[in-house]
Amino acid sequence: MKKLRKIALGSMTLFLAVSLSVNAQDTLNTTLGRQAAQNFNSFKPGKSKFMLRGFFFTGFDGVTVGDESTYNFIGGGINPVLLYKQSDRLFFEAEFEGEYGHDGFELGLGYANASYILNKYMTVRAGQFLLPFGTFTEKLHPAWINRTVNAPLGFGHDGIAPSSDFGLELRGAFYTGNVKVNYQAYVVNGPQLKTGEDEPDEAGMLTFGPMSDNNNDKTVGGRLGILPLSNQMLEIGFSGMTGEVGTKGSEYEGVKANLFAVDLSLVKNLNFMKSVIDIKGQYNYSQVGDANYIVPDDTSGLYYDFNNVSSGYYAQLSIRPSLVSNNFIRKLELVARYSELQTPEGALWEQNPTQTTFGLNYWVDWKTVLKVGYQTTGGLGDHDSGETTTQNLIYVRVAMGF
Amino acid sequence: MKKVIIILSVVTAAIIGATTFNSCKPTEAITRSGAQIWGETCIRCHNTPSPATFSDVEWDVAAMHMQLRANLTADEIEKVTEYLKSAN
Repeated sequence: MKKLRKIALGSMTLFLAVSLSVNAQDTLNTTLGRQAAQNFNSFKPGKSKFMLRGFFFTGFDGVTVGDESTYNFIGGGINPVLLYKQSDRLFFEAEFEGEYGHDGFELGLGYANASYILNKYMTVRAGQFLLPFGTFTEKLHPAWINRTVNAPLGFGHDGIAPSSDFGLELRGAFYTGNVKVNYQAYVVNGPQLKTGEDEPDEAGMLTFGPMSDNNNDKTVGGRLGILPLSNQMLEIGFSGMTGEVGTKGSEYEGVKANLFAVDLSLVKNLNFMKSVIDIKGQYNYSQVGDANYIVPDDTSGLYYDFNNVSSGYYAQLSIRPSLVSNNFIRKLELVARYSELQTPEGALWEQNPTQTTFGLNYWVDWKTVLKVGYQTTGGLGDHDSGETTTQNLIYVRVAMGF
Repeated sequence: MKKVIIILSVVTAAIIGATTFNSCKPTEAITRSGAQIWGETCIRCHNTPSPATFSDVEWDVAAMHMQLRANLTADEIEKVTEYLKSAN
């Protein structure tokens, strides 16, 4: 009996000890599990997500005009892009534009807007946004995306294509059969007419960019893009915008501007060349209503007018042998671009420059590129002198997306 | 400049013709995989990024940005994001 009692007591003691040990282990595991979960949750992202992206570029320019040449390392620019996903429907984006100008480093705002996805086919956007007038400004302008060194003629400062503005936009995309259609429609403050009061040589030009409205007539516009092939290698787009540009209460009140653009994009693998070709192009047209402008340096009150119609286009071809096996060669890309601009005959800013660019790019990775090339721009000059000049540019650029 | 307008008109007519013809065909475009969309869409503006470029969380943000900028449909961006997350 004693032996049995001892065995039973020993078994109970052992069971108790094991139970306590297991229980303690469970408690320890639970505690460690909670701590691990807490640690994990502290790093687990919430539904709102922030991201900093953007691009940087720098390089070297050799510019020759007539007999004079200048050679400069350029400060380049840095454009941070802030992206913030508030929820599956709400999104914010902003791009800052930092560049070395004549007065040192200058920082501007490229765009800042909020988008709300209404449904599968429609998003509404408000704020300052890049205008979908063609594709270059909205999609192709960043230095690491643009295959050449600068914007084509007619874009940018003193150009005929709008850049960004304050307003409201609806955009979306849908399929009809194999054809994809995308659209943007917007209402913005709109461009303004330069009357020549501040810069007489620019009377009749349009000023683009985010500004307060100079009249109560908002500018409306949009773009329709069609991708007719199921592999989406081809896209053609039609853009337009219209609105008053004259200042309310001035003698230019009621002057309107109508702009339209056609853009084309074709990207295709050419297996027989083991290459990818990329063709881009855009045609811009601008028509401003009739107006009379003061003749500069004239005290007798003389006016002049002209048919205020401008147009311009660019066509670009790039070839990259991405499909060859040689690691160095497949990172190379050849690019050629031609662009032309025709400003109004009779205007003091009348010009008909043409520009040809040839370049060789080396892609360090998918968003870092070294560009080397040559660009010649002829037909530069002003109406007064009647003389034109040619500018030749040898460039080196490093552009990095991040 | 007139030549440009004529060329653009011809191209436009060809596109509209192709569009009309292609819109009547079965919808093979909407059955494309995420990898296909990724390979065919990104390159229309920039080089195609590697899925390893970003984390899953970062792809969520980048994908929404591209959905809005490049006019991708909701179905397209969902497929592309799934592909990028599975391959990174």
